[in-house]
Amino acid sequence: MKNSYNNINLKKVLCITLFSFLFFQFLTFKSYSDNVKNGEVIVQKMIADAKKHAVKTINLSPKERSLKIEILIKRFINLDFMARATTGSYWKKANNTQKKKYKSALLKQIVNTIEEHLNTLATLAYKPLKSEARGKKLVYVKGIIKDHSKKIPDVNLLWKLAKDKKGNFLVLDLEIEGISLVSSHKAETMAILRKNKGDFNALLNTFTKSE
Amino acid sequence: MKKNKFAFSYSLILLFLLIGCTKNLKNSAESTDPFESLNRNIFAFNKSLDQNIVSPVSAAYVKTIPYSVRKSVSNHLEWMDTPSTIVNSTLQTDLENTILASAKFMLNGLSLGFYDFDNNETKIKKKDLGSTLAKLNVPEGPFLMVPLLGPKTVRDFTGTLSDRQSLSNISSNSVNKLSLAEIPINLVDKRSKLAKNIENIYESPDPYTKMKSYYIQNRRKNVYGDTYLEDKNNKLDLEFEKLLQ
Repeated sequence: MKNSYNNINLKKVLCITLFSFLFFQFLTFKSYSDNVKNGEVIVQKMIADAKKHAVKTINLSPKERSLKIEILIKRFINLDFMARATTGSYWKKANNTQKKKYKSALLKQIVNTIEEHLNTLATLAYKPLKSEARGKKLVYVKGIIKDHSKKIPDVNLLWKLAKDKKGNFLVLDLEIEGISLVSSHKAETMAILRKNKGDFNALLNTFTKSE
Repeated sequence: MKKNKFAFSYSLILLFLLIGCTKNLKNSAESTDPFESLNRNIFAFNKSLDQNIVSPVSAAYVKTIPYSVRKSVSNHLEWMDTPSTIVNSTLQTDLENTILASAKFMLNGLSLGFYDFDNNETKIKKKDLGSTLAKLNVPEGPFLMVPLLGPKTVRDFTGTLSDRQSLSNISSNSVNKLSLAEIPINLVDKRSKLAKNIENIYESPDPYTKMKSYYIQNRRKNVYGDTYLEDKNNKLDLEFEKLLQ
């Protein structure tokens, strides 16, 4: 009698454990697939907005156009993350004013890069490819830029996204044909910082000179 | 004369291999730059040459020559590079690429490569001696900025020299002259395609480092393919996850 009671209890415990495990797996999977979907939606929206933007701002003065692009980019990228990722251990040594100035300089660099390609982008087609969740936080969204007239070769893009502290999905890095923008920017920043023995003001001066 | 050429080319290869092997690091070009000071001077020279001569010529080329003609020239230059791809694909035992490149070379050879009968549908991976040396686990060696040629690693520079030398050894004098005449055309053609990227590099705070980073990432992707990208992204993921905490 006692034995069968124990068996029923054991079965119950096993069932509950199994269901909890499956439920947890389901929730995790759902959260991963939600993240991937969110990432894809953000990238699609960003491309669509950039294309609209290219057409709308074509008659504006260069300064006004840059300002508009800056507003657009700020909505989609995690500037705070990019600033930390491109300065490595030197970020902690910088004071708040230096950090603020660096973020503003970095944003200007990104705006300049995008501005040069914006008009071309408006005439090209973006085709989403495979997306995937990487680890617990990151999402990779892959896509390809195609020129139907075949004047420009296909360009493979990889967007790396993650949620910020407020829960918004933002872009952390963009790889164009395997070239990571954060990596190349980091190489540049670190070279300047090392040359100037970690002096953040020297880095900011170099950025100002190049603007 | 030909014997001298061979001796010169192979001693050069040996020399560069020795320099590359002494480092005993597979991918050291990004982290170490022993020739940085010299490289920066050559970069300044190349930049000045580019801004004063190559860029204006390239802009005029784009402005005056119709797209269809420029496309034909590009096709022909690519076709001239195909034998190197065929030989190196064979050495790398990439049979599919060897067959595709050979077929395309023969087909487009009907127009001396000026017209692409395949309409760029067949994707051929470009292979050179540098990529063959990489497959043989030869280290890439330090980064070099070569006058006129631009960024290279020691391994890839050795490959470029040897590819060019092999072509002149196996081809006739007239082809050699044609090949020499094509160098400036190739330069202008490539410059016109990369105009925006080059301008973007020049405008950055440290153009030399930016060009070096772009070159090394792009070259490794072309040589090692998906394996390199996966390794690089795994490392970056760890770094990013840490920063997101």
